[in-house]
Amino acid sequence: MQKLVVIGAGMASGRLLEQLFAANPDAYDVTLFNAEPRGNYNRLMLSPVLSGEKSFAEIITHDEDWYAAHKVNCRFGEAIVKIDRDRKVVVGAKGEVPYDKLVIATGSAPFIIPVPGRDLPGVVTFRDLDDVEKMRGACGQGKSAVVIGGGLLGLEAAAGLRLQGMDVTVIHLAGHLMERQLDPAAGYLLGRAMEARGIRVHTQGSTKAILGHARCEAVLLADETTYPADLVVLAVGIRPEVRLANDCGLEVARGIVVDDAMHTSDPDVFALGECVEHRKTCYGLVAPLYDMAKVLAKTLLGEAGAYEGSEVSTKLKVTGVDLFSAGDFADKEGREDIVFRDPGRGVYKRLVLEGDRLIGAVLYGDTADGAWFFSLIKDATDVSEMRETLIFGPAYQGGAKADPMAAVAALPPEAEICGCNGVCKGRIVEAIEGGATTLDQVRAETKASSSCGTCTGLVEQVMALTLGDGFKMPTAQPMCKCTDLTHEDVRRLIKSQGLKSIPAVTQELAWKTPNGCHSCRPALNFYLLAEWPLDYRDDRQSRFVNERNHANIQKDGTYSVVPRMWGGVTTPAELRAIADAAEKYDVPMVKVTGGQRIDLLGVKKEDLPAMWADLNAAGLVSGHAYSKGLRTVKTCVGSQFCRFGTQDSTGLGIKLEQLLWGSWTPHKVKLGVSGCPRNCAEATCKDVGVICVDSGYQISVAGAAGMEVKETEALAAAPTEEEVLEITAAFVQLYRETAKYLDRPYKWVAKVGLDWVKAQVVDDLESRKALAARFEISQSVYRKDPWAEHAAADERPRWAPLADLTLEAAE
Amino acid sequence: MMDAALDAVIDGAKLTFVEVSEVWVPKEGRLVLAEGDYGRHTDFAKASGTESFAPGEGLPGKVWAEARPVVLKSFEGSYFKRTEAAKAAGLTSAVAIPVFAGAELKAVLTILCADGDGRVGAVELWKDSDGLLMLDDGYYGAAKHFEWVSQHTHFPRGQGLPGGVAASKTPILMRDLGAGYRFIRADSAGKAGLTTGLGMPVPVPGGTSYVLTLLSARGTPLAHRFEIWDARAEKVGRDGGAVLVDGICAREGALWNDQTERRVLPWQGYVGRALATGVPQVDGSGAAGIAGGYTSIVVLPIHSDGAVSHVVAWYI
Amino acid sequence: MSWIDIGTLDDIPPLGARVLKTPLGCVAVFRAEGDRLFAISDRCPHKGGPLSEGIVHGDKVTCPLHNWVFSLETGEAQGADVGRVETFAVKAEGGRILFDGARLAQRDAA
Repeated sequence: MQKLVVIGAGMASGRLLEQLFAANPDAYDVTLFNAEPRGNYNRLMLSPVLSGEKSFAEIITHDEDWYAAHKVNCRFGEAIVKIDRDRKVVVGAKGEVPYDKLVIATGSAPFIIPVPGRDLPGVVTFRDLDDVEKMRGACGQGKSAVVIGGGLLGLEAAAGLRLQGMDVTVIHLAGHLMERQLDPAAGYLLGRAMEARGIRVHTQGSTKAILGHARCEAVLLADETTYPADLVVLAVGIRPEVRLANDCGLEVARGIVVDDAMHTSDPDVFALGECVEHRKTCYGLVAPLYDMAKVLAKTLLGEAGAYEGSEVSTKLKVTGVDLFSAGDFADKEGREDIVFRDPGRGVYKRLVLEGDRLIGAVLYGDTADGAWFFSLIKDATDVSEMRETLIFGPAYQGGAKADPMAAVAALPPEAEICGCNGVCKGRIVEAIEGGATTLDQVRAETKASSSCGTCTGLVEQVMALTLGDGFKMPTAQPMCKCTDLTHEDVRRLIKSQGLKSIPAVTQELAWKTPNGCHSCRPALNFYLLAEWPLDYRDDRQSRFVNERNHANIQKDGTYSVVPRMWGGVTTPAELRAIADAAEKYDVPMVKVTGGQRIDLLGVKKEDLPAMWADLNAAGLVSGHAYSKGLRTVKTCVGSQFCRFGTQDSTGLGIKLEQLLWGSWTPHKVKLGVSGCPRNCAEATCKDVGVICVDSGYQISVAGAAGMEVKETEALAAAPTEEEVLEITAAFVQLYRETAKYLDRPYKWVAKVGLDWVKAQVVDDLESRKALAARFEISQSVYRKDPWAEHAAADERPRWAPLADLTLEAAE
Repeated sequence: MMDAALDAVIDGAKLTFVEVSEVWVPKEGRLVLAEGDYGRHTDFAKASGTESFAPGEGLPGKVWAEARPVVLKSFEGSYFKRTEAAKAAGLTSAVAIPVFAGAELKAVLTILCADGDGRVGAVELWKDSDGLLMLDDGYYGAAKHFEWVSQHTHFPRGQGLPGGVAASKTPILMRDLGAGYRFIRADSAGKAGLTTGLGMPVPVPGGTSYVLTLLSARGTPLAHRFEIWDARAEKVGRDGGAVLVDGICAREGALWNDQTERRVLPWQGYVGRALATGVPQVDGSGAAGIAGGYTSIVVLPIHSDGAVSHVVAWYI
Repeated sequence: MSWIDIGTLDDIPPLGARVLKTPLGCVAVFRAEGDRLFAISDRCPHKGGPLSEGIVHGDKVTCPLHNWVFSLETGEAQGADVGRVETFAVKAEGGRILFDGARLAQRDAA
């Protein structure tokens, strides 16, 4: 264990120690010196403590327990006499401490204006809690205070003293307050806000002397004005506190000079915070100090780290005044200002651009977009496209957003939220009030959102309504409990890391479980087969029972068998084969489906292969009525027979079905082809719908007719059948490659935007052809009858029980 | 001095000053009870459930008709309708706060207090008169030093809690009221005087500005948890919602955070509901949505320029 | 303890199951990760779903009808669901699967 001595318990050193102990608690034995008789606290919040709006206890960042837990030797209230770099010893007022590494974090010292009277009792600066206590001691009704300096700190001091009952005057050298950030018009607004608080503002005031005998009594300005002053606060600026560093011979310019790893000119001595100068810059705000602390913690642990400077932002902490500034707003060549003023509302906004980048922002009176502008500055975003509307903020594009939760709030308790499980709003609220505070708990308790998942968003809204901001609306949902990655993350990583099997995924992506769960395994199986159609072997054991057994499981454990009926067209031979199978295997119900085919319901698992073989013999193949893949292509009669038919809709429907059948997709896909705009095939509520017209075919997509009903949106007009087939294949392939597993096409299009889909599938011919080609590659593997595969004689035993021990018993 | 200020505001162990909170809403020309938290005062609850008030009638009706908040210091012989029931419950004073959105009355929030048991607190009503906040009325419970009160009758804008609230037009929770408030003494509360206070603007039609302050002494907190939310578009943007700007809790400590922002959307929880409806919310059932695990919550929305600008919540 | 030979390990797909008909009802025999064998009743206590058709993960299986999850080891339903399926002894020896004969010998008349 090495010895680390830290001089200064300000915000930078507090953060440094946190980072250091978090990374390696046993690397250093730490001694922490502080001239103030107390530990680390949030110095930025001293202004509200002065005003009485916060208590000191609330702003302490590290308390006795924290120091004890991390075994920090605290030497608070002890000044440093000197640093002896030869002996590697720090000499404190109460004794010396040897060091292996030393960190100087002495912060800043306030400028003291060189006027007569500056040393009188009653003249204070505003750096620490002791200053605040002195100021509060002077407060009393009828007492006067003069604050010299109308920048952020001076104004905060003035407002605080005013709230505590003093008569306050602010003296400011420049023509208007906060002249570095604000132009005269905005400075005027700010001055008015101060005056509304009864604070007198004297601009263009230069202090000549502080008058008084035993203590300060008044302040005299160069223009002969005097203001009575029982208290004088000097808030004219700060400079790095470098005395100790200077005395021990370290390189010091304006601040203690450090490199990117926070080394000083001595290899065992480091510095951070307001006392340093890095790449010729000194910082007086907190974010850079945190960035420096992160780097220094790494350096102290022998790891590489580089501090590269920071973007800074500040707020004025005067209750009722909204002011936000960020970045660099100095007037320089090559910079451009965009200013917005609304004097009626007291709003002023100024943006400083250099080239195509935002480098500074000042917002007065309306700071709602502050964080957005700051991120544009930090990310150095190219704002050339947004120049015209930049000043209006991120919300400029939309109108007022509809109140998202009002509809759910208005639902009565009996309203059904989860259709699959019949759970109403009242039941969900009851579960929440009974203690279920996470979605998983509500699911487990009520079953809501535990089946198809469509109502999950609604359940989350009911939770937000009931729990308030105690419930965090999830933003990026992880795939399942096995990982923190989202579906999109995993898809991308499968591609970029070339992961070609489920074990590769669970291994490389650090799954929390050995082989996933019933949620992620089917999703992974799909993503893998979509990404690597030729290399990946489909994993049956990662499929739901329906897809594994190629038949729909019913509630009693029997299955439904649906042979394909291409485009809804059949033949007498096919019908006979279906009827024969129904009789041979004692099928309890034969039913016509909405997808224009016939369903044999109630088939026993062990009979499936034999039934399939019989159906195959008549030329019938699997209808994939159970798959996340192509289900059906509904057709109406069309020009073959119908007097209104403009094209051969039936023929086209059959061609489409033959193109797409067998493919696996993120969720089921259903098509419809209508022979004329009368739309007898109901094509306009399908995933892909085609309406035949005289000039050709109108393709539209993203419809829905299940739990949600939605009309399709126009995608393209195609003159030939070939083009319809190509566009449809491209659309389906794009869907397969980019959608989230279990998102129907309408959900996917809503997420990615129809315009983008159009661009890839319709407008960009090369992209369309490439997508259709990739679809064909995938189909070369999957466009085949699964029944035929599993009906083979040697496979049949696998569909029956492993053994029948009831026979033994009969013996 | 300052370290103990936090205890004074929110000491979780002690009984609080406020005993009963009610929300009265206008319905067919009368004020009817929408919500009420009566704590252990079940008889008073029963007596109140069937009440309703015409404009001018009783305390809520008076506040409606006169379009101003009212502090009622003694029920006996006054226009208060439920005097007998209040006496039986040990309730001694009341404040009625009208919630106006422009000229429309959305609700009246009534707060009933009990003193005794060593509880010391004050409720003050201030009126803005040409930039000077004048004490319109005040209830000081067990404190009996009226000389102080006669000194303490006005604050210029920006000065003291009432002046600060009037100047900034926002609620303020002061942990340490400062020297000006120290002079009030109560025989049973020791030498601490009144140290902490919650100040709120009470907008009413007609241009007069009122500020309501609820003050407490060390050891007798107003409530166990406070939250102040800012809902102005200049702060939260056009998407609505409100951001927590200040708050402390006896259990969770400081709720404000200068690094991360806490936000609610309209309708989200009690604060969201007050934000969306513009009507105060009161719940004494200890439901899961009441933060901090407390039994009761009172949420007061404050309107300005046609929208809810701030929301104040306190929990018992 | 008596054991009945019911088939080979390869008769059961990895991370899959086969059904065993017994006088005590249908039993699902699972081959979990690492060729670990488990046997539980094939009938979900919720609505009778065939657990042998569920997805196997870790040492658990999810019922294909309504997603109840069961521990293959203890037969206990997981999470907030309450229920239990019977478990049976099963082991592999020399590539053959041996099932709990003693259990069948105790057959009750039910």
